[in-house]
Amino acid sequence: MQYLDTGPFGILVTLMMVAFVLINIFRAKGSKGLYIRRIAGLNAIDDAIGRATEMGRPVLMVPGIGGLDAVSVQAINIFAQVTKTAAQFTTPIRLCCADAAVYTVAQEVIRDVYQKEGMSDRYDSTSVQFVSDRQFAFAAGVSGMILRDKAAATFFLGAFFAESLIFAETANAVGAIQVAGSTQTSQTPFFIAACDYVLIGDEFYAASAYLTREPVLVGSLVGQDWGKLAIICMILLGFVTMSAERLQITNEARVDDPDKGTSKIVSVAEATKDQFRERRKRASDTVVHRIFNPIRTEEALDIKREKDPNFVPPATNGAEGNGTEAAGGGA
Amino acid sequence: MIELLAQAPPPPSFWNRPPYSPELYVMVIGTIILGLALFFGLTYAPTRLKRPIVMTFTFLSGLFYVLLWLVPTPLKPKEPGELPLNPVDAAGIWFSDALPRVADVAQILSAFLLGLGIFSLLTIHIRKINRKQTDWGFSIVLLVSMVLMLGFGYADWIMKEFRDPLGLLQDSSNWTFVNQMSDLLFDGILQQMDAAMFSLIAFYILSAAYRAFRVRSVESTVLMASALILMLSLMGGVAYAWGQGIDALVIGTGNEFLNNLKITEVANWLRTNMQAPAIRAIEFGVGLGALAMGIRIWLGLERGGVSA
Repeated sequence: MQYLDTGPFGILVTLMMVAFVLINIFRAKGSKGLYIRRIAGLNAIDDAIGRATEMGRPVLMVPGIGGLDAVSVQAINIFAQVTKTAAQFTTPIRLCCADAAVYTVAQEVIRDVYQKEGMSDRYDSTSVQFVSDRQFAFAAGVSGMILRDKAAATFFLGAFFAESLIFAETANAVGAIQVAGSTQTSQTPFFIAACDYVLIGDEFYAASAYLTREPVLVGSLVGQDWGKLAIICMILLGFVTMSAERLQITNEARVDDPDKGTSKIVSVAEATKDQFRERRKRASDTVVHRIFNPIRTEEALDIKREKDPNFVPPATNGAEGNGTEAAGGGA
Repeated sequence: MIELLAQAPPPPSFWNRPPYSPELYVMVIGTIILGLALFFGLTYAPTRLKRPIVMTFTFLSGLFYVLLWLVPTPLKPKEPGELPLNPVDAAGIWFSDALPRVADVAQILSAFLLGLGIFSLLTIHIRKINRKQTDWGFSIVLLVSMVLMLGFGYADWIMKEFRDPLGLLQDSSNWTFVNQMSDLLFDGILQQMDAAMFSLIAFYILSAAYRAFRVRSVESTVLMASALILMLSLMGGVAYAWGQGIDALVIGTGNEFLNNLKITEVANWLRTNMQAPAIRAIEFGVGLGALAMGIRIWLGLERGGVSA
């Protein structure tokens, strides 16, 4: 990262959030019964699987179309819980992946779930499928699967984009109970419009804590809440200080040069070409603005490194010899 | 095959040994031995050891990115023959050099995993065809399409990249059967089918909106009302007529506050004072959730699911 972009403030805030999460994880290890508010979408999981069992139809899960990252890992964690319940009811499952790495991890996790439940013989290796890594080919493939298998319950959790509505409406067409959640704020409204239950925002990350009640996960959830409180306090503090500061009169102004990426403090007279000597502080003159946009002086950007006296420049004649002589050649 | 591997030589560093140099051969052989040792070691490792091994690798991989984030990136890239300003600058330069290599490792892993994905696809569909399961004809279509696309796509790429030094294939009139087939399969069929799937969303939006906007509860009423205001504000004729009506009212009553009731103003207020803060709040929550999740995975604190 570039400290000159955000200053040390960004790092400090992030480290504070990390500390909140870690402190609460270790606090929660010794305590029991931390409260988590009711999340309707997660309560519906058992009902959805029960319905699929009664109807003798499969449960279909999609961990989004993103790569292997925190979002898809969390989706697979939730699907592990769904699969656990489905395995107990001997309900068939389908897990469709659009990314090969996610597919590999999902396959391992689902197999482990069956093994842990002592039902290895019921694990169907084709229940976790790699469909396609092209967005709409994946959408077509999964929609076809929903229609052919007539899934009784569908879980769309992860990173979704334009295909979200295709999945949700296809599942609705076959009368499936739908539980959905996306970290993409642009897709959440589509899920809200089309699905029965939706996990909004960080409810998605709270799901594994909610389903397992593991102290580590619940503690991390409390840490996130501390983080939210800290952010609320910072917003309020920023609002008050910025409002108060903008009532002040100043004779200094900040001037940014977007071409060079530098900024400097000059007198108001210089900044306004002698029009005014004083003026009310603008947003760019406030402390809050400077915290997020530190001043980059020309001197700070003018970096001169010393030359290495032992450096031998690489040959440029394409020599196929050996050693460093061939380093720059052969183009 | 040699032309496939040909590339411009990057500047020499720890990650790029000079071509044909003994150091390069030593590093390649060392990497192969290390890779094989890791492969067999992981395959035959006792089950109870697998979790610590995975946790160690996860921690080390995560540590690289954490340090990359914490160590300041050099503002000016290091030129050959320059000495770092100080240890922090040296660390920043090392991380900048290492990042593309680490990304390469991730890409190589992804390529292997893609192979596993294709294997899964082939297994499922070949089994379906063998057992003549429902809709097995679609599986034949999929396999034939896959083979055709791979064959023609690869041949087309080889021709355009390595067999056309004069760039004659830039002009479609010089295309051979292979180029035409590749174009037909990709631009003529695949892209069109993608566009068709995307177009379906328009109809799905309509049916989903019909269900969502039915006035069943306070929430759906609020949703419907705000959506209606936003949609009306985007209709030029409605916005103009509404604005004219408000202008007449302002002139009639002399109350300029009524200007705020123009539909474009109301829609703008909804967007900036309701929608934007709500989205930002959700994104704060999502960001914190991702951070907590990342820490748990990195430090191996999560039990069950993926971490098991």
